Amino acid sequence: MSRIGVFTCHCGENIAGTVDCPKVAELTRQIPGVVHSVDYKYMCSDPGQTLIKEAIKEHKLDGVVVAACSPRMHEPTFRKAAAEAGVNPYLCEMANLREHCSWVHEKNEATTQKAADLVRIMVEKVKHDTPLTPIKVPVTKTALVVGGGIAGIQTALDIANAGHQVVLVEKSPSIGGHMSQLSETFPTLDCSQCILTPRMVEAAQHPNIKLMTYSEVEKVDGFIGNFKVTVRKKAKKVDEKACTGCGLCVTKCPNKKIPDEFNEGLAFRPAIYVPFPQAVPNKPTIDTANCTYFKNGKCGVCSKVCPTGAIRYDQEDELITMDIGAIVMATGFKLMQTDKFPEYGYGKYKDVIDGMQFERLASASGPTAGVIKRPSDGKEPETVVFIACSGSRDRAKGVPYCSKICCMYTAKHTMLYKHKVHHGQAYVFYMDIRSAGKDYDEFVRRAIEEDEAKYIRGRVSRIYEEDGKLIVKGADTLMNGEPVEIKADMVVLATAVQSQDRSEDLAQTLHISYDKYGFFAEAHPKLRPVETNTAGIFLAGACQAPRDIPETVAQGSAAGAKVAALFSQDELTREPIVAVVNRQAPPLFSTCTGCFLCQTACPYQAIEQEEIKDRSGRVIKTVAKVNPGLCQGCGTCVAFCRTKAIDLAGFSNEQLFAELMTL
Amino acid sequence: MSEQFEPKITAFVCNWCTYAGADLTGTSRIKYQPNVRVLRVPCTGRIDFMLIMKAFERGADGVMISGCHPNDCHYTSGNYHARRRWMVFRDLMDFMGIDTERVTFSWVSAAEGAKWGALVNEVTDKIRALGPNTEQKQLVGLGVE
Amino acid sequence: MESLKQKAKELLEAGEIKAVLGYARGTSDTRRPHVAMSALEVDKLVADQACTTNLANLLMKHEIKHLGKLAVVASRPSTLRSLLQLTAEHQVADGAILALVPAEGGVKQLGTAQAFEEHLALVPQKKTEKDQALLDRLKAMPRAERFAFWQKEFSRCMKCYACRNSCPMCYCERCTMDCNRPQWVPVPSHAVGNQEYHLVRAMHLAGRCVECGECGRACPVGIPVHLLTFFAEDSVRAQFGQGGGASATIDNALSTFRPDDKETFIR
Ligand SMILES: Cc1cc2nc3c(=O)[nH]c(=O)nc-3n(C[C@H](O)[C@H](O)[C@H](O)COP(=O)(O)OP(=O)(O)OC[C@H]3O[C@@H](n4cnc5c(N)ncnc54)[C@H](O)[C@@H]3O)c2cc1C
Ligand code: SF4
Ligand code: SF4
Ligand code: SF4
Ligand code: SF4
Ligand code: FES
Repeated sequence: MSRIGVFTCHCGENIAGTVDCPKVAELTRQIPGVVHSVDYKYMCSDPGQTLIKEAIKEHKLDGVVVAACSPRMHEPTFRKAAAEAGVNPYLCEMANLREHCSWVHEKNEATTQKAADLVRIMVEKVKHDTPLTPIKVPVTKTALVVGGGIAGIQTALDIANAGHQVVLVEKSPSIGGHMSQLSETFPTLDCSQCILTPRMVEAAQHPNIKLMTYSEVEKVDGFIGNFKVTVRKKAKKVDEKACTGCGLCVTKCPNKKIPDEFNEGLAFRPAIYVPFPQAVPNKPTIDTANCTYFKNGKCGVCSKVCPTGAIRYDQEDELITMDIGAIVMATGFKLMQTDKFPEYGYGKYKDVIDGMQFERLASASGPTAGVIKRPSDGKEPETVVFIACSGSRDRAKGVPYCSKICCMYTAKHTMLYKHKVHHGQAYVFYMDIRSAGKDYDEFVRRAIEEDEAKYIRGRVSRIYEEDGKLIVKGADTLMNGEPVEIKADMVVLATAVQSQDRSEDLAQTLHISYDKYGFFAEAHPKLRPVETNTAGIFLAGACQAPRDIPETVAQGSAAGAKVAALFSQDELTREPIVAVVNRQAPPLFSTCTGCFLCQTACPYQAIEQEEIKDRSGRVIKTVAKVNPGLCQGCGTCVAFCRTKAIDLAGFSNEQLFAELMTL
Repeated sequence: MSEQFEPKITAFVCNWCTYAGADLTGTSRIKYQPNVRVLRVPCTGRIDFMLIMKAFERGADGVMISGCHPNDCHYTSGNYHARRRWMVFRDLMDFMGIDTERVTFSWVSAAEGAKWGALVNEVTDKIRALGPNTEQKQLVGLGVE
Repeated sequence: MESLKQKAKELLEAGEIKAVLGYARGTSDTRRPHVAMSALEVDKLVADQACTTNLANLLMKHEIKHLGKLAVVASRPSTLRSLLQLTAEHQVADGAILALVPAEGGVKQLGTAQAFEEHLALVPQKKTEKDQALLDRLKAMPRAERFAFWQKEFSRCMKCYACRNSCPMCYCERCTMDCNRPQWVPVPSHAVGNQEYHLVRAMHLAGRCVECGECGRACPVGIPVHLLTFFAEDSVRAQFGQGGGASATIDNALSTFRPDDKETFIR
């Protein structure tokens, strides 16, 4: 028989004003199992807590019900008090007489009766409570950062500088991401490479960072502090250790007509290549899809010229499995593709380009060495039309959101253009100018006022070619929709920022959620912006939503700080409200029948399969098992299981049943 | 028996949204009728349909079930699973002739204190108008005159 | 028929299987399940319209499971549907059981879940006219009348659990009905417990029932309990587009969800 104490709080007048507290104490004293029941003015006060602690000792209580305010308010307070008096904290429950009773009802008998009922419910719950101990899980202090753009680099550096190990996985041959392709950056117009390259080098040389380029995450198992990650290290066909990075192979490769991704197709590269001169690591990779040797077995020039014999045509992909404590996703974004803009002739007219191509044209390291030449004939364009919101905020194109960075980089482009082509004229078609940010609006104003960019508010309906000019037809909505026609030499589309291809697949590999556009979802849009709903996995940069560099770096550092905080502990402590699959004596072993329907229902992939074997190792039965490190205690599986084999500690079947039976 | 019939209403609510929402009803001092008894569960995903069934067996005249709005579940998808279950359970109840008017499903967020208050009142009034759940009470032989 | 026996003998002889589970003549015109482990026993096999039992139920019994690799005579499509559902629920490994389907001028041997699915695509699933008529009649009734109908039916239920025991999907080693901590459903057969039992049974089969009708046939007092699970299945199919016994690879309708599932009753 239980020895339960009931402590009814007046909360000053808050409860006692409508509920007859002494009567509640009296009524609940009669509940079987209750050996002590009192009321007091302020239970949460020091004397109130002392009163509870002393009663626990004096009456040898083995369970406590505090009838006061919401458990969401003071449950930790009273559980702590109970624990101090020697009662397991999870044997202390609260009945909510304030928010759910005194504050919402009139002062009368029914209200007092309800209060007593609420206590009855909790007394039955306590009777079926079991002592629980917080769960402790160890932490592997190695972080995995996926994606080596500025977000990933920043995160990796911050974690590494906090003294922890980092594995930085990048899918392309070099780290750097989109930022390495930019010419100069808003709002300061400093050269992107100049600020990025030192960080790339720092990351590569940091003793705590292990760089894995040309690699992708293949599989993720486990849970916070204890992930098991398998990474596929794709074969570069070059022995990284033997290669000195001399680049002889690159110059000698006869197959030089492959569109260069780094230069957005505005230049060519050979089949064995280093993506750009400042690439990290600065060692070549063979693009096997385009290499003559891999296509028909002929050639082999690179192998012949390599002074150190580093070319390895037979090199294979490697699968590397590692223990990881936390993961940061930093896989960035992509730009909307050409086929989405038939009305602008993008992909058809050579001189209709996108913003990233313009960055390459403007870049000193680009195909034109920073001289603005239009792709078709290499002439200097004298009139350039920039179209903001190309695809963004356009439901028809599937992107109702704002890409956030385009207003700013379009203003930047008009300035870069004007600085290079002094007599040139830039036009910008826009919907709204969104330039919130430190020095951002000033920047746009400079483009308009000093660099004389002509801003036209309106959409472009069509672009077509006529006599070597691109005819841009649009309307000026500030002039009552008056039609505008501009004869341009070049058109630059600020195409929408979208999630990376196959980001949904990647999210599923990691068991994190994503929004309907494929961007990874944060745990809470305001309060937990760098965490995912999966404990131990964090987000940085444009993989979560369109972002510019300052924001990306801030979020990268935030994610890094989260990881460092996690790694500051040797063990993690978790609430013991987790599900358990019962185990029984043979021949049943468990009432679980192994249907594993609960497995697909669990939002956290916390349910595993366990094989029960006999002495000779033969599998007798396969049953479900909950991983307490992953389980968050929602109880979805419990309600689902037909054999009642799973139960939830703290909200068990017996508890809910008993609570219900008091009514 | 001249006294007004006072219905018995049992509610199952998730901890993170509706329970918190009901707390807010209190903090905002919004009044509602005292007929409801709330049982707190972590998530709507935890609400076994058998609990609803048992509530009727214990003589509930009405049952309320409430949790986080779609997309807001603290555990990301407990409410989506719950919703599917309710969709079938409600159909089945109806097919067995059990009155689905007596079960109210809702999404009440932690910010919707006013909604919770109004909903409890509405349900209480409605069940009072429907009268005692005689059909079910007779099955158990619970005090029906 | 002869080709079925021929095939069964070949398989037994080649050692590919240990036994064939099929039908044999019972008393009078009935058919009963029959396990054949030798050529002699194979000769007793029959396959005709009178073979109504869904043999999949027996496949889940320990005694049969332990015989070794089996072939089952699947003259009823529901036997194949059961095998698919049991595979989806990890009770039968894909490829572990051979199905022998008597067909025009021979016998089809199906070895994998995929083969079952392909075969089932050729045989449409349809309720009997009688069942459909009663379902329609019930759905058209005012609710209170439907309540009375079922209460009257349930009043004859003696909780013998024949319906449960005959169901291929009720393979749980411990049924909720037998769970006593807490005792969810009272043991004795009385009005409230009977209603609860049938509600629980139907809910537990929603999205899983293969619509073989075995439960209804098994009931000694003739309660149309199969209509409850048929109805649940219709509801699942109508709302989520997938039902029980259709595939060994689709996740169960009630253990998955779509964020845009449409309902009309949540406030
Ligand atoms: C035309 C243009 C101009 C811009 N100008 C400016 C500017 O002037 N100022 C400014 O502040 N911002 C500017 N931006 C925005 C800036 O580019 C982004 O803010 C920044 O690049 C975001 O960094 P990130 O690391 O999040 O993503 P990214 O730069 O996209 O980097 C992501 C990295 O992850 C890698 N990756 C992707 N998937 C995987 C995978 N599955 N596994 C492993 N690795 C993967 C990619 O290869 C890439 O290296 C501009 C953007 C554009 C398009
Ligand atoms: S715990 Fe229940 S739902 Fe999960 S596999 Fe076991 S029987 Fe199936
Ligand atoms: S309680 Fe929730 S999180 Fe835990 S195993 Fe069950 S479904 Fe998964
Ligand atoms: S519930 Fe009835 S019809 Fe459905 S699978 Fe079981 S026995 Fe067959
Ligand atoms: S077979 Fe008939 S009598 Fe037996 S439990 Fe089922 S419904 Fe009741
Ligand atoms: S936590 Fe509220 S519905 Fe899941």
